[in-house]
Amino acid sequence: MMSGMGRIAFSCLITTFAWAAPPAATPVDFGRQIRPLLSENCFSCHGPDERNRMAGLRLDTREGALGRIKPGDAAASPLFQRVSHEKKSLRMPPVASGRVLNDKQVELIKRWIDEGAAWKTHWSYSPPVRAELPLVKDKAWGKTPIDQFVLARLEKEGLKPSPETDRITLARRVTLDLTGLPPTPEEVAAFVADKTPNAYEKVVDRLLASRRYGEKMALPWLDLSRYADTHGFHIDSHRVMWPWRDWVISAFNNNMRWDEFVVEQLAGDLLPDATPDQRLATGFNRNHMINFEGGAIPDEYLTEYVIDRVETTANVFMGMTMGCARCHDHKYDPISQKDFYRFFAFFNTVDEKGLDGQRGNAEPRMFVASAGQISEIERMDAEIKEKRKRLAEKDVDEAQTAWEKTLPPSADLQRRLGQGLEFHYEFEGGLEDSSGHYRAARMVANEAVFGAGPIGRGMTMTVDEKMALAADVLQDERKPFTLAFFVRPTHERSVRLFEKGTGLQIYTGVSEYVPYYKRGSPLTLHLGPRRLVSEAPLLYGSYSHLAIAYDGTTVKLFVDGKPAALRVVNDAPAQFANREPLTIREFQGQMDDLRLYNRLLGEGELMDLAMHLGPMRAAEIPAAKRVKEEKDRLRAYFLSSAAPPELRETAARLKKLETERQQLGEVVPGAMVMTEMIEKPRESFVLARGDYQNKTEKVLAAVPSTLPPLPNGVPANRLGLAKWLIDPAHPLLTRVTVNRFWQNYFGTGLVKTSEDFGSQGDSPSHPELLDWLATELMRSNWDVKAMQKLLVMSATYRQSSRTTPALQERDPENRLLARMSRFRLPAELVRDNALAASGLLNNEIGGPSVFPYQPAGLWDELAFGREFTAQKYTPSHGQDLYRRGMYSFWKRTVPPAELATFDAPDREKCLSRRAVTNTPLQALALMNDPTFVEAARHLAQRMLREGGRRPEDRVAFGYRRVLARRPSPKETAVLSGVAAKQLAAYTQNESAARGLLSVGESKADDQLPVAELAAWTNVATMIMNLDEAITKE
Amino acid sequence: MTLKKQVELALTRRQLFSRTALGLGAPALASLLNTSAVAATAPPHYAAKAKRVIFLHQSGGPSQLDLFDYKPKLKAMFGVELPASIRMGQRITGMTSGQSALPVAPSVFKFEQHGKSGAWLSELVPHTAKIADELTIVRSMKTDAINHDPAITFIHSGSQQPGRPSLGSWVSYGLGSENQNLPAFVVLLSTSNTPINDQPLFSRLWGSGFLPSNHQGVRFRSGAEPVLFLRDPEGIDRSTRRMMLDGMEQLNRMRHETYGDPEIETRISQFEMAYRMQASVPDLMDLSQEPEATFKLYGEDARKPGTYAANCLLARRLAERDVRFIQLYHRGWDQHNELPRHLAMQCRGTDQASAALVTDLKQRGLLDHTLVVWGGEFGRTVYCQGKLTETLYGRDHHPRSFTWWLAGGGTKPGVVHGETDDFSYNIVANPVHIHDMQATILHCLGMDHTRLTYKFQGRRFRLTDVHGEVVKPLLA
Repeated sequence: MMSGMGRIAFSCLITTFAWAAPPAATPVDFGRQIRPLLSENCFSCHGPDERNRMAGLRLDTREGALGRIKPGDAAASPLFQRVSHEKKSLRMPPVASGRVLNDKQVELIKRWIDEGAAWKTHWSYSPPVRAELPLVKDKAWGKTPIDQFVLARLEKEGLKPSPETDRITLARRVTLDLTGLPPTPEEVAAFVADKTPNAYEKVVDRLLASRRYGEKMALPWLDLSRYADTHGFHIDSHRVMWPWRDWVISAFNNNMRWDEFVVEQLAGDLLPDATPDQRLATGFNRNHMINFEGGAIPDEYLTEYVIDRVETTANVFMGMTMGCARCHDHKYDPISQKDFYRFFAFFNTVDEKGLDGQRGNAEPRMFVASAGQISEIERMDAEIKEKRKRLAEKDVDEAQTAWEKTLPPSADLQRRLGQGLEFHYEFEGGLEDSSGHYRAARMVANEAVFGAGPIGRGMTMTVDEKMALAADVLQDERKPFTLAFFVRPTHERSVRLFEKGTGLQIYTGVSEYVPYYKRGSPLTLHLGPRRLVSEAPLLYGSYSHLAIAYDGTTVKLFVDGKPAALRVVNDAPAQFANREPLTIREFQGQMDDLRLYNRLLGEGELMDLAMHLGPMRAAEIPAAKRVKEEKDRLRAYFLSSAAPPELRETAARLKKLETERQQLGEVVPGAMVMTEMIEKPRESFVLARGDYQNKTEKVLAAVPSTLPPLPNGVPANRLGLAKWLIDPAHPLLTRVTVNRFWQNYFGTGLVKTSEDFGSQGDSPSHPELLDWLATELMRSNWDVKAMQKLLVMSATYRQSSRTTPALQERDPENRLLARMSRFRLPAELVRDNALAASGLLNNEIGGPSVFPYQPAGLWDELAFGREFTAQKYTPSHGQDLYRRGMYSFWKRTVPPAELATFDAPDREKCLSRRAVTNTPLQALALMNDPTFVEAARHLAQRMLREGGRRPEDRVAFGYRRVLARRPSPKETAVLSGVAAKQLAAYTQNESAARGLLSVGESKADDQLPVAELAAWTNVATMIMNLDEAITKE
Repeated sequence: MTLKKQVELALTRRQLFSRTALGLGAPALASLLNTSAVAATAPPHYAAKAKRVIFLHQSGGPSQLDLFDYKPKLKAMFGVELPASIRMGQRITGMTSGQSALPVAPSVFKFEQHGKSGAWLSELVPHTAKIADELTIVRSMKTDAINHDPAITFIHSGSQQPGRPSLGSWVSYGLGSENQNLPAFVVLLSTSNTPINDQPLFSRLWGSGFLPSNHQGVRFRSGAEPVLFLRDPEGIDRSTRRMMLDGMEQLNRMRHETYGDPEIETRISQFEMAYRMQASVPDLMDLSQEPEATFKLYGEDARKPGTYAANCLLARRLAERDVRFIQLYHRGWDQHNELPRHLAMQCRGTDQASAALVTDLKQRGLLDHTLVVWGGEFGRTVYCQGKLTETLYGRDHHPRSFTWWLAGGGTKPGVVHGETDDFSYNIVANPVHIHDMQATILHCLGMDHTRLTYKFQGRRFRLTDVHGEVVKPLLA
């Protein structure tokens, strides 16, 4: 029954939306009325897709269609006969297709044929033509050419435009649109008071000059560019692309010409003498997701990256859904599968890897740093590459094999290192003690895991496990001991290695953990009250060998066999003899070859344990049976200690370089960029069914054959492609661009499907206006700010957004523009406006992304493990909590909670239009997200301090900050009433008031009475939660 | 209400619980928002047995060889290289492609036949064994992907690459919600019972892709705030909140009088629904009224919020409240090494509760209308990853055959469907591709997978892309 309802409602809607249909007297418009019908109902079997074309019939071309049409005579036309056939089984489209032509549509086709079956190519494939401005009856209303097009259409429909909105609403509207922030009460007042004829223009010019303008313009571009701070696939760790994001903001602020904006992002690296900024711009096509899942196949993902670039580039610059031609010819638009892979070839020669990004940015990348730092990095990278190449040559293998034969068996060494052992856990898959004392360890909670370790296998634990070793060791403080083991901690906070009651405790303390990079923290030793800390940090994520040697009074630490500095924190005598068992708990990471000796080990022995034993043991395993870790470790050992001098030096140099390079990489921000493979560029093939394993015909880079060819003299590479897009002959770029600008202000583009200008996309509501704007963009030398100004100066834009039931029924989506559209702010602006109104907003522009309040655990519940970055959300502190929404750290697999609630996308793919939903989850966020509660308290503080004594003045103050306007007496009465009641309640219950005021990191103003501030905080919340507050009117 | 008025309202009510307010099918609503999208028919396309789905996703890839797919002949083949005639040159992951050998690792676990159906099940799943006759066991599942991210994305969106709507959001779009106070699509997460790192999950798995974002799954978390921002801040009690909402409603209505925008009406109703959720969600999550028998059935773990058992119990409570799609994810099934030990731990943490859920639904009369799905993103290889000993082995990802089970919702109980070769490597009878299973799940809900479409970028997309056949033998 319910579904029946749905159907009825739906068919009713079609008539409601019939505004587009001209009266019967005018001839049928092929482009607007017929082609969409054919496309939707016929093309999937009788369209561009050659392989799946039925009956050899093609209806997307004139030649094809005319074979089944007798112009002027529908009854004699096979096409009409089939779509109107009385036998259901013969009628087109077939039932199985799920598509139906209704009577009206069939009648339309009949009329079109009877009128002569006029045919035009799809509108968006021929270049825009600048139409004459249409004549209008009402000469007084229009202010710009835009208005003449809009008005002409309204007059044709028998509608009138709405009057200009009041100045306060206009000030708020245009300030939100050009800066994303509300106007200050002073700005509003100045505009209202300005009686000069160009008062509004002055406001617009001021806003266009504001640095906030670049941030606002960048917002939709970040969606289109699928910009994010993480890689997106699988473990989804961090990347550093914010320098690219900042490039976008400054490009808009500097009013970079649109043609340059396009060329630099697609091919800045290929421009002659490309500047660092031009190279940075190409980050646009590196924003796609990147994978490094263990075991994934590199070729598969290389292909996906390139396909993403094709889809994004086609969507953003051409409004084309090219992705449809990945597996077969496009079903609706004239793009063959071969066209797709030719386009693919433009983006397939980037010098990149299929699996990359484990440690931040994937190659190729650049550094955004001082010239000196950059040249230093480049020099180091080149040398690292060269050294690695040298060490991968065949003679190294041969030398190593020869050396392995000369190695003595490890048995002798093992015997020597066995002297004085109290216990020895090899962790080869179990917890037995191989010292001969039978002190087998046991798990007290959960289970340990065994995997490859420095010597054979090693043991892995998480914080949930607890392992008891032995209780009857370390029983005399006067006797020496040496505790030696390999360790690889992976947890970022307190890692406890050993504990023996209040006696011996060894752990690594709180680290200087930051969300981006791994770091270590110092090792802490407690021998009862005697407490020491290592000077150097213990690194997370890699193995170290530690030995703690105690001679009866003093403690020494050895890291990887070498002495390491210890600082005494509490100089008291050691006391550790107790009957507590030695345990490992709250440890997360790996451990191997754990030994306790009842003697001091010599430095040689410590070196043997740390450096020599593992490789010697590995060398005894036949080469074919070694696991990867064993191979790697043995090779490293050979290169560091036994290889010929030339190789040893090379290896030592490489190690030093790698360390230095990593350190430098952590302080210098970078970005992923495009480069071309110079030697042997990757070849491109048509991939059958889009499958990377299924290479068929080889192809070279070329543009789709249905569009104009590359201009003369440009190379067939990305730079040529970019120049082709900005060529005056290109039919799509300018149209797609101005349509998106229009969408930013009016909510819906002149072409509603701003991502699809093809056959299946919507026809433009005002085709001549779209073309006029497209040609205007080029005529104005691609002046982006001028275009924004033109749009917001129009009378169309300045209309009131009030609607009536009649208008609502006639044009519910406001495509005719008889009023201004009224719609909810984008997610980021919902946040920004609350912060701005309260005075909390941090005005900083650009820089690394930040971590505003977010409920704990949202990342952890989905994350992999702490060896990788961006797995645990650590909120920022201080001013970073109050940055604009666009600077929130965008983790693709868990987008910022507050923003996602208001329809912000996950940024996995290019997005041209966001949904605008209205949900209870949004209401909950507005009511309870600490960001909004804290902002309300700050607004309340200002209402009390700056608003005045009287409730009505305070309400007015809040209204002006949030809504730009003053409240009506009725509105004031409602809020004053609430304020009074709440004040009474909180006066009775001050602890509740204090609770409310404690939300957020900032402290409440303690000069203000607690109950009063709490009461007004709720009033501020009410104002900030109004529909109007999150809506552009 | 006149039809015209309904349409007018529908145009603006882009809300989370889109169906109930008007009795409008969600697809119709979506079409209203996207005027060019003409869904040929609105679901349900035919009479449905299942009203809802509980999907127990076992993330990581449980080993069919050690749980469901009994291969007695392997005992004699311990350590023997996997024959090339079986592997047939199929791709394997980068984790074992470098291994010098692919030795057969027989399961160390004992298998027995259970129930009237005589289904072979391993000793690791004794509780599941007891309900064998309620289950439809599919031993011939297969997928296209061999790594976690693409494989799990494939199961939940029909495509290995991101960007498509999830299964639950398709169901929400197709059928809407039957509950005024809870979302149509709820997601529950639990972490593994083993000490290894869990495979990550992604919110795209319950995302709405290109469907309107109100169809995305809502994560219900354990702890004080199951739904994001559900709790009023300290110092705001119910009466204070009520007073604020009443005041806001008055103010919003005044604005509506001036602007005539129906979206304002919707805003008011969404705040009201939020207020109701603040009561209905804690009520849902509160297990204190559950009798002792419940915890006996699901196990003591069910008392601990956030465990798999607790989530199974919550799934039943959500089903009782008519939530349309209940998606559980349980992590920790990725046994590349130490499989015998860790798989046993995983099963100890999940077996009882999975079986309890089916039993509980049945005894409450809910099973007929609730489709329960149990399965992971792929299976595991017969060959050993890493070192092979008599008692220890690991298994890599295996997309070519694995086992799922279904219960209730119109499926045929006591059936074992499909067959694999002696190595559980290739399917030899009745393969069920992921797209087939997706088609079957939609079918159980009364939807034709070829007709549940959404137009995006000019193309009518569907969950099953251009593939999928309903697997009739699984249905009653």
